[in-house]
Amino acid sequence: MAALLAAETSDYSPAMVSVTQQATMDEATWIARAQRSDAQAFESLYRLHVDRIYGLCLRMTGNVSEAEDCTQEAFIQVWNQLAKFRGDSAFATWIHRIAVNAVLGRMRKSRREQDRIQVATEASTSPASVGDTANLRDLSDAVDRLPQGARHVFVLYAIYGYSHEEAGNMLGIATGTSKAQLHRARRLLAQQLKQEGFEA
Amino acid sequence: MNEKHEDKLISDAKRLTTRISPERDLWPDIATAIAQPSRSRWTPMLAQAAAVILLVGASSGVTYLAVNDDAPPGEVITLDRLFQQASFGGLHNLGPDFQDARSNLASKLDQELLRLSPEVRAGVEENLQVIRDAITEINGALELEPNNALLQKILLKTYHEELRVMRDVGALTQSVMSRNDI
Repeated sequence: MAALLAAETSDYSPAMVSVTQQATMDEATWIARAQRSDAQAFESLYRLHVDRIYGLCLRMTGNVSEAEDCTQEAFIQVWNQLAKFRGDSAFATWIHRIAVNAVLGRMRKSRREQDRIQVATEASTSPASVGDTANLRDLSDAVDRLPQGARHVFVLYAIYGYSHEEAGNMLGIATGTSKAQLHRARRLLAQQLKQEGFEA
Repeated sequence: MNEKHEDKLISDAKRLTTRISPERDLWPDIATAIAQPSRSRWTPMLAQAAAVILLVGASSGVTYLAVNDDAPPGEVITLDRLFQQASFGGLHNLGPDFQDARSNLASKLDQELLRLSPEVRAGVEENLQVIRDAITEINGALELEPNNALLQKILLKTYHEELRVMRDVGALTQSVMSRNDI
């Protein structure tokens, strides 16, 4: 089980180093070609990153349909803004920012968030938990039931490993607010998991 | 709730998968979207505004010919000069002095309109309404995007057209609305 978890949750294990190096070289080539409007190269970039972007969107929205829309919107934005990418940050980080903006923009426009919360509350298993091992599904479900602000910070900080400063920048909130939201998220999660008899 | 439990929450959260495959292939829709030329969200509005400007320009020209066909050639008031130093409140609303002068001009125009035949008067009023609707729409767009230079330019052009119609109809002199009034 531990090996399975390690394989599932580690993005860049030592065994994958050479593969990763090759992927990085390929990625740089694809970026350069996509910046010259090569859609085929852009599709390669999409295939390389779609799982992480979709995962992020799904964790943040908790809704398959909205996560799909946000993922598509994010990649369309990436295509439109590709000329601006200068490599100052990792490409993955850059497209994560765009994906977060896509999620936030969509949520601002939509009032379906309340509907989403109701649906998630009624559902026995949240869509975001499908990729998690059985003993982590309760936690995944509990994260999905967090209020929007706390959930966004928890997803970026605790699951995706961004710092409070990075998460704050992505979400357009102060670093202190990010810390406060994380504290709130932890408190709510602990309460939820305790009520459900889950011992992490 | 204790610190140990909270720390375990975070460490457990780090083990949640960050890679989730979509249930369907999202690429075809993306490929279709990026195959379309990139369009600004204001493009339809700008195209509409540009169409209004064309219409306004054509109709004000007709109005000019109808009411002032004996005007001496070359007597074109450079309205650009009038607006050159007009103050923009919030970048898009011309200053209050300008709006006062504009209202005065509009009042005088109402009096002048009575001297026109009903047919010509109706045409002029219709043209002015088109212009004023355009001004309202462009101002609405500028409230959402106040720094849009193209919208500002179109707004100024529309004000020019409105003034041109009013001037042509009333045969009012430039002194009615000098730079001091703006």
